[in-house]
Amino acid sequence: MTAASPTAAPSTASTTAAAAEFIDIRQTFGDFTAVDGLNLTVEQGKITTLLGPSGCGKTTTLRMLAGYTTPTSGTIRIAGEDATRLPPEKRNLGMVFQSYALFPHMTVADNVGFGLKLRRVPVEERRKRVADTLDLVGLGHLAGQRPKKLSGGQQQRVALARAIAIRPSLLLLDEPLSNLDARLRVQMRAEIRRIQAETGLTVVLVTHDQDEALEMSDAMVLMRAGRVMQSGSPAEVFPRPANRFVAEFLGYENFVERDGRLLTVRPEHLEISTGPATEGARLALPATVTRVAYRGVDRHIALTTQGTGDEPVPLIAALRADETGPDPRPGDQVTVVARPDRVVELAG
Amino acid sequence: MKARPIAAALAVLGYVVMLVPILFVVGGAFTAGSTLKFPPEGFSVRWFGEAVANESFSQALTSSLLLAVVSTALALAVGVPVALALHRGHIPGRSLLEGLFLSPLVIPELVIGLALYQQLMIGLKQTSFLALLVGHTVLLMPYAVRVTGASLALADQSLEEAARGLGSSPWHAFRTVTLPLLRPGVMSAGLLGFITSFNNVPLSLLLQSRDFGTLPVTMLDYIQQSYDPVIAAMSTLILAGTVVIAVIAERTVGFTKIFGGIN
Ligand SMILES: Nc1ncnc2c1ncn2[C@@H]1O[C@H](COP(=O)(O)OP(=O)(O)OP(=O)(O)O)[C@@H](O)[C@H]1O
Ligand SMILES: [Mg+2]
Repeated sequence: MTAASPTAAPSTASTTAAAAEFIDIRQTFGDFTAVDGLNLTVEQGKITTLLGPSGCGKTTTLRMLAGYTTPTSGTIRIAGEDATRLPPEKRNLGMVFQSYALFPHMTVADNVGFGLKLRRVPVEERRKRVADTLDLVGLGHLAGQRPKKLSGGQQQRVALARAIAIRPSLLLLDEPLSNLDARLRVQMRAEIRRIQAETGLTVVLVTHDQDEALEMSDAMVLMRAGRVMQSGSPAEVFPRPANRFVAEFLGYENFVERDGRLLTVRPEHLEISTGPATEGARLALPATVTRVAYRGVDRHIALTTQGTGDEPVPLIAALRADETGPDPRPGDQVTVVARPDRVVELAG
Repeated sequence: MKARPIAAALAVLGYVVMLVPILFVVGGAFTAGSTLKFPPEGFSVRWFGEAVANESFSQALTSSLLLAVVSTALALAVGVPVALALHRGHIPGRSLLEGLFLSPLVIPELVIGLALYQQLMIGLKQTSFLALLVGHTVLLMPYAVRVTGASLALADQSLEEAARGLGSSPWHAFRTVTLPLLRPGVMSAGLLGFITSFNNVPLSLLLQSRDFGTLPVTMLDYIQQSYDPVIAAMSTLILAGTVVIAVIAERTVGFTKIFGGIN
């Protein structure tokens, strides 16, 4: 088995050893390419998030790592060893499916103990580990229930407990929170982070929700059409999107061309000035207000400015609702400004 | 709300239509007289004694049970793997194959019976038991494929994948996850198959012989010669047997589970 033994001397591996690596991975279904030249390193003890729109190949990537599909070409390494063609049962990974995939004919405890039984863990120890894992996810009192009797959030925790009970070398989560209601979803983000911190597990998480990715990841990988568009820590990626796709995905809404370069600014970083341009502002665009939308915490001001071509360029500025300052009305001629450090230059 | 009394009336009518004939037969079986009529004249169980003592009935019952059990087992042995393959496998010509296994539902039994009669019994000189076995197995195949297939919808493939991920070999995953989920479907297919075979007349009528006849056909023959309460007693005994089976099935798996897979 490729799982790192806890007793192995730490000196043989560097401290940021790769828990898993994708090397030039391609996956095609017929003539459709789902994953195209993927290179990715999953670092030990961290949460790595695969983020991207529907159909970009996130699940396919995760399934290749788990061994449910074999890549068309390329190499997958788990803990340094080639695992490209290893069947799932030999990988010792914990996977939480989007549908949870709990065994309906077994109790919660039997679900969680399933992998331990296969590992021939003695009955007494098994019972203890099942109980401990259920306590970790806060479901100790439901051990005897059938999964069908549980709420969505509880089922999700059982699936999580089942996956971590086997002490996997990697925990794989495919949109684990997408079936939960909004409040529970936010709660579970913190919950998964806590469990990760307590267990020290390496986690690969798939999501299409950028807030989830920003809040939960140590490293995030933005994907589009089977390719990696950008990767790095949220603090690296969020303020410095590399291209228009990443910027749009992370909520940048204003794109203007200046001297042949593409610039972007988040709506909350655009300011509206009724006077002449402030000194030192990188952007100073004459614009016309087209619409004002009150949204509670802020107001969204829609504007248009003249672009390089004939088409007017739409802009959105989000002004704090309690801000004293200009009160733009539709039809007003204003100047839109942004601080130089708020303006991001994009590669394309 | 307004439709309630109408619906209730229809339900009652349905029960009446189903139960009254049974009442006539069961009542008639307990008559003390020597003709089958309702209401019965007096009370006796002597016709039951005669039904049980009837040599040709008990022989036919053994034949019917044997035929029903073996043909059901054969239909399941072929039908369950076929249902699995149809549901799981990415096999070419899948709808064609599915059509093939469901076709006995639309081909008249007389056609199947005639074909078997010509080919097996006349052509190959096989016994009528073998011909009946083949005929009934073909007849039951659609139930085995359909009903098991319906219960497979419960056994989502990601369940087996989850088991694999936790360390199961493919066979272990199938045995511990898919098979238990399939059990109610297989049970209901088996029960349906057994009842269908046991009650079948057209095929059995065509393929019977002097030394092998099924119970329904033997009873049919009997009625044509003598119309006495023995036949009612025999019917009542079969009914009782069916009720016992139904109760056992309900206790062990539950009817909703057994027949839940049909639609
Ligand atoms: N077994 C398969 N056969 C054919 N096409 C497939 C198969 N699996 C995935 N695909 C295709 O590959 C593409 C990527 O699928 P994938 O499930 O990885 O996307 P995803 O990023 O997980 O999307 P979502 O957010 O919708 O789950 C999709 O266009 C999908 O239709
Ligand atoms: Mg997906």
